[in-house]
Amino acid sequence: MSKKQIILGAQFPGVNNFTVWSHPEAGSQIAFESFRHLAKTLERGRFDFMFLAEGLRLREQKGRIYELDVAGRPNTLAILSALAGVTDGLGFINTLSSTFNEPYVLARQLASFDHLSGGRVGWNVVTSPGAFTGANFRRGDFLPHAERYDRARAFVDAARHLWAHPGRDFDLPGIGRGHFGLPENHVYRPVIAQAGDSDGGRDFAASHADVIYSRHGTLEEGQAFYRDVKARVIRHGRPASALKILPGAHVILGDTEEEARHNLRQIRLAQVSPRAAIALLEQTWNRDLSAYDPDGPLPEVEPDLGVGQLSLGRTRLHDDVLDTVRKWRTLAEDEGLSIRELAIRVTARKHFVGTPESVAATLDDYVQQDACDGFVFAPHYTPGGFDRFVDQVVPILQDRGVFRRDYTEGTLRGNLCLPDPLARAA
Amino acid sequence: MTHPVPLTIGLSTAAGNAFTPGEWRDLLARIDGAADAVTLTDGFAADGPQGPDAIILANWLGGQTRQVSIIAGVAVNFTEPFHISTAIATLDYVTGGRAGLLVQPSGPELAKRALDAISHPGGYPQTEAGDLAEDLADAVAAIRLLWDSWQDDAVIRDVERHRFLDPDRLHHVNFRGRHFSISGPSITPRPPQGQPVGAIALSGPGDPARGADIAFLPLGLGAAGNLPVHGDLTLGFAGEAEAPGLWRGEPGRLAAYLAGLHRPGLSGWRLSPEDPRRDLPLLLAELPALRAAGLIAEPGRGTLRARLGLSPAPNRFAA
Repeated sequence: MSKKQIILGAQFPGVNNFTVWSHPEAGSQIAFESFRHLAKTLERGRFDFMFLAEGLRLREQKGRIYELDVAGRPNTLAILSALAGVTDGLGFINTLSSTFNEPYVLARQLASFDHLSGGRVGWNVVTSPGAFTGANFRRGDFLPHAERYDRARAFVDAARHLWAHPGRDFDLPGIGRGHFGLPENHVYRPVIAQAGDSDGGRDFAASHADVIYSRHGTLEEGQAFYRDVKARVIRHGRPASALKILPGAHVILGDTEEEARHNLRQIRLAQVSPRAAIALLEQTWNRDLSAYDPDGPLPEVEPDLGVGQLSLGRTRLHDDVLDTVRKWRTLAEDEGLSIRELAIRVTARKHFVGTPESVAATLDDYVQQDACDGFVFAPHYTPGGFDRFVDQVVPILQDRGVFRRDYTEGTLRGNLCLPDPLARAA
Repeated sequence: MTHPVPLTIGLSTAAGNAFTPGEWRDLLARIDGAADAVTLTDGFAADGPQGPDAIILANWLGGQTRQVSIIAGVAVNFTEPFHISTAIATLDYVTGGRAGLLVQPSGPELAKRALDAISHPGGYPQTEAGDLAEDLADAVAAIRLLWDSWQDDAVIRDVERHRFLDPDRLHHVNFRGRHFSISGPSITPRPPQGQPVGAIALSGPGDPARGADIAFLPLGLGAAGNLPVHGDLTLGFAGEAEAPGLWRGEPGRLAAYLAGLHRPGLSGWRLSPEDPRRDLPLLLAELPALRAAGLIAEPGRGTLRARLGLSPAPNRFAA
């Protein structure tokens, strides 16, 4: 039996503490050259796609713009279309809000991108928090939280209708009516990605998406998620292979296993600086904890469960704050962890740590054992944070026969071996 | 005596609906190094062919050009000012300071089609001319405030104190207009030019400029206000016509026609080929004669603001 081929994507380092801006080789987070470097590196490594996250308002904490993390990024569609202009085979997945865009406008932009890039565009459909983000947009806080996925579904359906009918008039109730005047000499098939992990999010992905981005790090968690989501896909009348499951992950390499573990430790210390540790705890406690010593024990004070939010512009990490804090206290007491060491522990994401050979073998295992179909990696710094992976890990995956040596399809949909959605729409 | 001025070539995404990506790339490659700038008028909500979105096209082309500035057209009344601001700022990063925004006003008819296309959401103007004009001015003001919302020195990378930025050098713009308000700051740092060039095409000298830096204006209709004026001419190398804003004639006769319109104080020319496939190569072939006649300047290098003679833009939030 032939082996599953691994799907590889990577994102430009994001605006959170996982991006180590203090790294000695860290460059500009906004210069075009930084973006071009990553895109060219990924294309050299024959990656399926480059991914870009989006946040439509700068984060705030304790009433001030958050100052500890990288901030300041380009317009998603604009920078990725610029990169499409200087690459040939790499796909580009744009994170874009279904809340603060209008279907005709965004469908036209994505169709334009798809046309100009020769079919290399994807859309990661996200919903945006209403009041905080809405303050930057004409429509303001217009959409009740409970309706955010209804709008997302209707939005994607409308976009796909428009893409299937270039050069035609449209009349879609609740969406709009008019003319979708895009060139008719192109077949518009942007890839749809989705990242929600809630029940609603998984169902939305199962019915509508080509790619689901997950955060399930271990082999067993990945397998459970994989089984659940693929079953939902089949329930929606689609083949299981129509939805690709791609967890987000980081890679830490070393010449030896020990060196890789040492590198991980150094990176975690840089990601969770003493001030960042306090700030991370404040986001859960919903209180000012600046009087506490990051190298001391956890705050004895309980979290503030009031309606006021100390941290704005972030996804809430824990549904049950009191339960989370109780578990953290137990963990800290059992192992004698300081605030900073606890933050390093509990904010960890999935890291593949080791030599190029061992990391390649583990990635292959995850895919062959159906924990996922591939990965979306986030480098720790820009622009060179992914050079080593491409130079040292990709060739091993190619030698194992699980990753392409060259682009053969020319489109993102082809890279991902996805079925043609028009066959379904017809 | 004439003085040579910058040349902008006008293209429209709607007219270019039939262009393949390769043809767009070739067009820009020909213009790159031959003219100072190109405008891409957007076909948003047009009744027929609309072409690719001009912001996407501009950025896709942007990284492939070396010298030419790109002024992307946006139907500002029906696009989110926040998205316009970050997209043009990004174009400025992509091109290293060669970006501009072509502010496209909407009349009542286009406004009706645009509102229908987006299903009449809240926060947008109605189809009445005065309302559209006020909203346009609001949107341009908000876009410009967002460009200034990061001071140039906002990113401090203070490793010792673990501070990436200084929040005191970022500013909530707190813009309140007739139909919408925007808190800010932008998610995108201040672009290389500080303020990318705002341009607007006016049909007559009495039209208000709505916060633009330069105006494209058909000559022969009288003098505009105190805005730098670029003579605006659509031209075709087929048939014969001479009217304010339109010329048709044979190759070899354009320089003499422009010389008759050229006047002291003119800040530039925008020449728009009527049928780009037919007329752009012929126009490019005319350029040496236009240069020899002292009508247009050699394409410059550097930022678009500098080439158009606009002074560096101060940041209104900086002390």
